[in-house]
Amino acid sequence: MVDPIFDYQFRLILIGDSTVGKSSLLKYFTDGKFAELSDPTVGVDFFARIIEVQDGTRIKLQLWDTAGQERFRSITKSYYRNSVGALLVYDVCNRSSFEHIPLWMMEAKRHIEPHRPVFALVGCKIDLAGSDSKNGARRQVTLEEAQQFAEQNGLHQLETSAKTGFNVENAFLIVAQDVYNRIQSGEYKVEDGWDGIKTGFNRPNGMDFNLLEAETVQSTCC
Amino acid sequence: MHTSDSEDFESADEGHGSPEKKERKKRLSSSNYSDNALETDQQPQEPKPSATAVKNIAKETDGWDDFDIDDNEPIAPPPTKAKVTDSKKEVEQKPTNVKADQKSQVPCWDEFDDWGQDDTVSTQRTEPPKPVQNKQSAQPDPNIKEVTDRLAAASTGASGGWGGWGWSVDSLLSTATAGISNITSQVSQGISTVLETGIGAPDPEELARSSVKANEAKAPVPAPISAEDGDKLQGRQGSSPEAGANAGDAAFPFGSLFSGVSKFVETTGTKVISGGLDTLETIGKKTMEVLQDGDPGLAKKRALLGLGAGDKPVLSQVLREAKAKADEDDRVREEKREAKEVHYENLFDDFEGLVHLEALEMLSKQISMRIEERMRSVDADKRQDIKETLQQVAELCEMPEEEEDDDEPPSEGVSKADAFHERLQTATQDLGLKLQFQPLVKQYTDILTYISGSPDTTVKGIYKRAVSGLAQATALSVEQYHKAAEMLLVKTRRSTADEADALTQMTVVLTKHISELATLFTEKLNGLPSDNTEQVNTYITNIFLEAGNSSTYIQNAFQLALPILQIGAV
Repeated sequence: MVDPIFDYQFRLILIGDSTVGKSSLLKYFTDGKFAELSDPTVGVDFFARIIEVQDGTRIKLQLWDTAGQERFRSITKSYYRNSVGALLVYDVCNRSSFEHIPLWMMEAKRHIEPHRPVFALVGCKIDLAGSDSKNGARRQVTLEEAQQFAEQNGLHQLETSAKTGFNVENAFLIVAQDVYNRIQSGEYKVEDGWDGIKTGFNRPNGMDFNLLEAETVQSTCC
Repeated sequence: MHTSDSEDFESADEGHGSPEKKERKKRLSSSNYSDNALETDQQPQEPKPSATAVKNIAKETDGWDDFDIDDNEPIAPPPTKAKVTDSKKEVEQKPTNVKADQKSQVPCWDEFDDWGQDDTVSTQRTEPPKPVQNKQSAQPDPNIKEVTDRLAAASTGASGGWGGWGWSVDSLLSTATAGISNITSQVSQGISTVLETGIGAPDPEELARSSVKANEAKAPVPAPISAEDGDKLQGRQGSSPEAGANAGDAAFPFGSLFSGVSKFVETTGTKVISGGLDTLETIGKKTMEVLQDGDPGLAKKRALLGLGAGDKPVLSQVLREAKAKADEDDRVREEKREAKEVHYENLFDDFEGLVHLEALEMLSKQISMRIEERMRSVDADKRQDIKETLQQVAELCEMPEEEEDDDEPPSEGVSKADAFHERLQTATQDLGLKLQFQPLVKQYTDILTYISGSPDTTVKGIYKRAVSGLAQATALSVEQYHKAAEMLLVKTRRSTADEADALTQMTVVLTKHISELATLFTEKLNGLPSDNTEQVNTYITNIFLEAGNSSTYIQNAFQLALPILQIGAV
């Protein structure tokens, strides 16, 4: 059994059109396996994995895998609030899934407010993109336009493959590291009534600087 | 406010708990920073009597001064008196300097100009304290020796390494470190043997000896003023100051000693003492200047040396504490890991039960709000209708009375797990949803396999498996409510009554399932030959407690799903 002790828990949400590969990405990240076939997600599913950020702090990522299907849209909206990070997922072989990314991003921003999450733009299925004409080059979204969009909106950006595992770890690590850095810098705090960031089992006393600081702020403003 | 925040931060970095931090802040800010308090904090192992006695003297000093003023003592020349009071003040500030400056290793007294250089702080700080005995060999006079011995003893723990100092300087500084009131009292009483020798006044030993002789000649009071003696003297003085004032030298109530020295001061010349005190004053002022340069209040240096919080910078002790702390951390970590393994709530969380419950709660709240909105938007009559409908749905969802188990026993050839699956499907067939019961059924199968013949026969092992099994079954059950709620919300045709009934039936099946699991595990525990019946009973009690917990979670989940059922009807 893996060491269950962790210092923080971050809640990340995966959003994007149906069938772009959100669940597959998560399955690979948490199980190391690629599922050829999977049922469409109902509402939201949960995954979890403990990772370590650069200074060795152990982070439990609680991953909310939302249904991309339109009919669940009204439900999934209610799940955004407590997220500290959001992965905007599209399929590099599906132009419209990329074109919907701005909508997903606006939706996430609106529902996560007043919190400001870390965003990452994640292109999936690059194993299918085909770099040469032989495979028909099914890629419909170029790396350049993804990079450009990410740059304009201040997002992290990667292309991944849940089949080969390419960049899957990185997609989550990059977000976790950024969230962690923002905790260190004081931008993010552990707050009561918001579950985006929680202290882990390792800190039962809650003796955490950011927690203290949050209390200080509270006491001075009253 | 920002400054104080950053101060907090600094001290937090140094590893001080917040109480200590506050304590230190308080002290720093208080103007009458008491060295005695510090001393007792820092050296709890020190013999108490002298410390308290010293404190008493310090407290009484004011009275003494007053008396001095009232009493137009002819022998004590006013200039000297003023000096004494001044330098007393100076000296009272001294411990700060001295302590903060333990590092400036000056090879000999004459070079005291270098005193303020503080660039060697850290090295000196980590050095173990050097014993001071070697200085005592330079002590010719037993009386003086007694005083300095006491002082040195008091300061041994405090001094960080004074190797290069002459004995007198050392004891002076030690005194300052350990409790400045010692010096204060001595000075105010004019018995400045330590002081004089400390400053290197001409032929100090000779002076001291003659002072003692003078004392002995005057009165039977023993010459060396120990702290206790001083205390007594103070007491006497306090009781009859007037009498003392009017009486002649010989009858001076508290002090043949005092008068003796006063005489001595008169005869040997005020120059000696005032010169010595001047020197001391200069040293003190100079030291304060240098130390406080760019560091008002010495806050930084104090923090650096860790003096404010009352801990001593002794390397071996620091290391011991670090080791003890590391051991403790390891132990705590191990305990936590162990505790987590059998901690129901944590396991429930690990099996995603908590997050399903939370997500269900989010939905539930959102839907409740939607229902309220709907009620606000209609007129009163319609609102009443809606209320009644909501109430009817809620009644449908009330758990049936505990009825006798009317389930048919599973027919031959059907496994218990399959029977469980069938019950679940029967219960939910009117729900109109495709719920996935396989995980629940699989978990049940696993538990049955474990119970019927597992190699794990330790009581503890079975207990762990029981808690985890219950937590997992509960998590999977809660997930069913969450999924049902989500699917009901996107269902196109609602039949609220059927749905409510189905979910109620499902709740009955699931809670029964939980007690079934608890029974399986406790029977397994009971069937185990054990020499520790008490432990087994504790475990069994806990298992039933957790089973109760599980049922509560399941029924909570059901209640959270109620608005989702209700909204289908309004």
